[in-house]
Amino acid sequence: MATYAFRRVLQMIPLLLVISLVIYLLTSLQPGDPVDQLTFGNPRITPEDIARLKAAYGLDQPWWTRYLFWLRQALQGDLGFSRDFNIPAVQFIFQQRMPNTLLLTVPALILSTLIAVPLGIYSAIRQYSLPDYVLTFLSFVAFSAPVFWVGAMALYFFAIFLPNATGGVISLPPGGLGGDVPPEAGWWAVALDKLRYLALPLMILMLREVAVTTRFMRASMLEVMTQDFIRTARAKGLPSRRVLYKHALRNALVPILTIMGLSIPGLFGGAVITETVFSWPGMGKAILDALVSKDFNVVMVSLMLLSVLTVVFQLVTDLAYAVVDPRIRYS
Amino acid sequence: MKKILSLSAFLLGTALAGPANNSLVVGTSQEPPNVLDYWATNNLAISTEVNNYMAAALIGIDNEGDLYPEIAATVPTLANGGYKVVKNAAGDVVRNSVTYTIRPDAKWSDGRAITPADFQFWLKVQNDERVPVPDRDPWENAKITVADKDTFTITYDPPYLFADQVSPSAAPAHIMNAAWNAFDAATKNQKDAKAVNEQWTKFIGQFTTSRNLPKVVSGPFRPTSWRPGNSLSMTRNPNYWRKPQGGEDKYVQTVTYRFIPNTNTLKVNVLSGQIDAVSSVGLTFDQALDLQRSARNKFNVYFVPGAVWEHIDVNTRSPKAKDLDLDDPRMRQALLLSIDRDALVKALFQGRQPVSNNFVNPLSRVYNENVRDYNLNVAQAKQLFTQLGWKPGSDGILEKGGKKLILSFGTTAGNTTRERVQQILQNQWKQVGVQVNIQNYPASVFFGPDFLSKGQEGKWDLAMYAWTANPIFEQGDLFKADGIPTAANGYSGQNYSGWNNAEYNRLHKQALTEFNLADRIKLMDRMQTLWSNEVPSLPLYFRANPYTKVPGLVNYTFSAYSLYPSWDAYRIGWASRGAVEVNKQK
Repeated sequence: MATYAFRRVLQMIPLLLVISLVIYLLTSLQPGDPVDQLTFGNPRITPEDIARLKAAYGLDQPWWTRYLFWLRQALQGDLGFSRDFNIPAVQFIFQQRMPNTLLLTVPALILSTLIAVPLGIYSAIRQYSLPDYVLTFLSFVAFSAPVFWVGAMALYFFAIFLPNATGGVISLPPGGLGGDVPPEAGWWAVALDKLRYLALPLMILMLREVAVTTRFMRASMLEVMTQDFIRTARAKGLPSRRVLYKHALRNALVPILTIMGLSIPGLFGGAVITETVFSWPGMGKAILDALVSKDFNVVMVSLMLLSVLTVVFQLVTDLAYAVVDPRIRYS
Repeated sequence: MKKILSLSAFLLGTALAGPANNSLVVGTSQEPPNVLDYWATNNLAISTEVNNYMAAALIGIDNEGDLYPEIAATVPTLANGGYKVVKNAAGDVVRNSVTYTIRPDAKWSDGRAITPADFQFWLKVQNDERVPVPDRDPWENAKITVADKDTFTITYDPPYLFADQVSPSAAPAHIMNAAWNAFDAATKNQKDAKAVNEQWTKFIGQFTTSRNLPKVVSGPFRPTSWRPGNSLSMTRNPNYWRKPQGGEDKYVQTVTYRFIPNTNTLKVNVLSGQIDAVSSVGLTFDQALDLQRSARNKFNVYFVPGAVWEHIDVNTRSPKAKDLDLDDPRMRQALLLSIDRDALVKALFQGRQPVSNNFVNPLSRVYNENVRDYNLNVAQAKQLFTQLGWKPGSDGILEKGGKKLILSFGTTAGNTTRERVQQILQNQWKQVGVQVNIQNYPASVFFGPDFLSKGQEGKWDLAMYAWTANPIFEQGDLFKADGIPTAANGYSGQNYSGWNNAEYNRLHKQALTEFNLADRIKLMDRMQTLWSNEVPSLPLYFRANPYTKVPGLVNYTFSAYSLYPSWDAYRIGWASRGAVEVNKQK
């Protein structure tokens, strides 16, 4: 398995180089550039000003020259400055945006998995019962409802309707990251303040995650339950609980593991719509804004980070299969 | 006790804002990329609005468009001898100069006096070729000479038309000089502009970012914390010299800007009372109209007449434009007379965004109110179409020489207000036999290098967008012939319709050097008449800037002159805390 892992790691190097080239090319193919944004609406700007600014931002060079420059700098550990924020792009991503994203997405993944896996199992073992129908219907609704709509409804309900109805006793803030409580109020007050701001986006993000994972878990369990080895186990007279949790669940978890493995890079990438609706300053919003404002270094750092995480977690997932399913061997 | 207070606030779900602690929470949909970049290498409105709290101006502009001294002791004028115009024997102005005297009590937040050296430092950096300022007009022709420790003269050679209306900025030389010298040394022999720019980014990043907040300020507030993506807080600068009536303790002590990029979420924040006021960069017009219905005295909604002009450029120079007579003023007049703009602004904006017949803002001193009024007149429009030889075909669409009058009509995709305007106008034009096909593009394409400026290639027929112009500095630049983007000028310039009128061009050049306001007004009057007769753009309306604020918040006001509600920041306060209202929102 170690040889297999080592070979896969080596394969990642050319793959990531190609990815970086493609990202740079696609970003460069976008119409317009940062200088257009600076110059539009300013009739005083001269062709000389435009040429000067393009040279300052390196936009007077063809894209491949700029890419080679970026690559050379990147290999030396310099991933450039954010043109919009005047700080290193790495600092912007890793210090200012990623912690916010992880604060939102990691609890969402953990909590939704903890809720969805038992619900999926429950739904599967009581197939076609009333609870199964209810759960299936609810997860279908939660899965189908557009996030921006559910988010907007939640905002109005928790930030306007409930405070009005309860005289302000029950209320959740409509977006933002917190900070109403000064640090001197103590860590617990600060944490509670943060939690209040986290509650709504977390809830909305979890809603969809729970719906998706429940449906997968249910389907996976149902498929495993019809397998021969489950019938054999039952025929041997093993207790139903043991059949379910020892034999069926372990196999049913393989596809769930795949989904989770592939969703981990997404945790770092943020949830664009949720972050947008709740003005949560995370990675998803940062990537979108950087693409729109053509803050190339931020785009490169964030998309390359996601690429690295994707290939790494694909490898981790593949290796995890062998742990979960003894039939899989990488030798 | 503090913990209890905090916890109570937490449980009640209210922001720690408003009169209780004499603070102000402002919601905005944009976050400035950096603050107090004195050389404005980004030109975002939110940057200017936030900077106004922290940077004092030598001379400011109030809500009425009048000048007032802030760092300077008085406003230099021709009458008091502070402003001088030098003419040659032929009577032409060859240079002009303005002499400023700094108030003796004007100081930086660290207590150091503001001196002419701070203005010299600013101008030196502004004009340095290595600094990526968008444009250097008019500073590239300006020189500062120091008379004494408080007085200096700035001379414009060649002369600058608005020399008495603008003033140079001050950057804290005692704080920034060492870093500037390091930048200078690091880039002295550097030929690569990109490498130089990276050094510049490092230099300016030491004073303007969330991790490196400005070290000193000259304005009434100084930044205390910036949580990127969330909020920026500023507290009162005790060293600021202008004191509001009754003492500064009766006015707002802390200002926090909350960055809420989603304007719907911003609206919910207004409704839920989480913010005291909205920035000038915030709500959409629709949202403001909607909020007005729910205000119930919890907050007030204002629509401030602005300087943003919505219009439709008509492409006059493509082969298709010539085929369809778009290069003939009568066709453009007919198109304008066919649409009911009064009904449009009533239907969409409750009439709060006034119809315009002119590209000059009514607030400008050079505005000509006697230009032609293009109220809906279908009979006249049809007459003009007939004059040009266009007759309705079997399908009702106008035809001439086998060609149908079918126009492509583009704007920025996703701008719902403009998309609604398009639909109304499309329907109105259909009534007179003009078929308009809507073809929209993302803003990056629409304003990118290959669309508006390539009118000659026939990429569009009608293009709807807006221009922002400060009414004080109006000089008719948008429609000068030099501004027509062509291959020869590298597609620079913003006369996208391609209108080229010899008399207008002559008058424009003359007006640029006419220093007598009364005479300039005469020239501009004629320019506006010419423009209005030929309407190279179809004027729609002047936008109003909507915002909200809660009752009792005073001196948080602005106009098309002062531009941002932060222009008089030192007087913003709560009436209940003793703040005296000096500026009422009009």
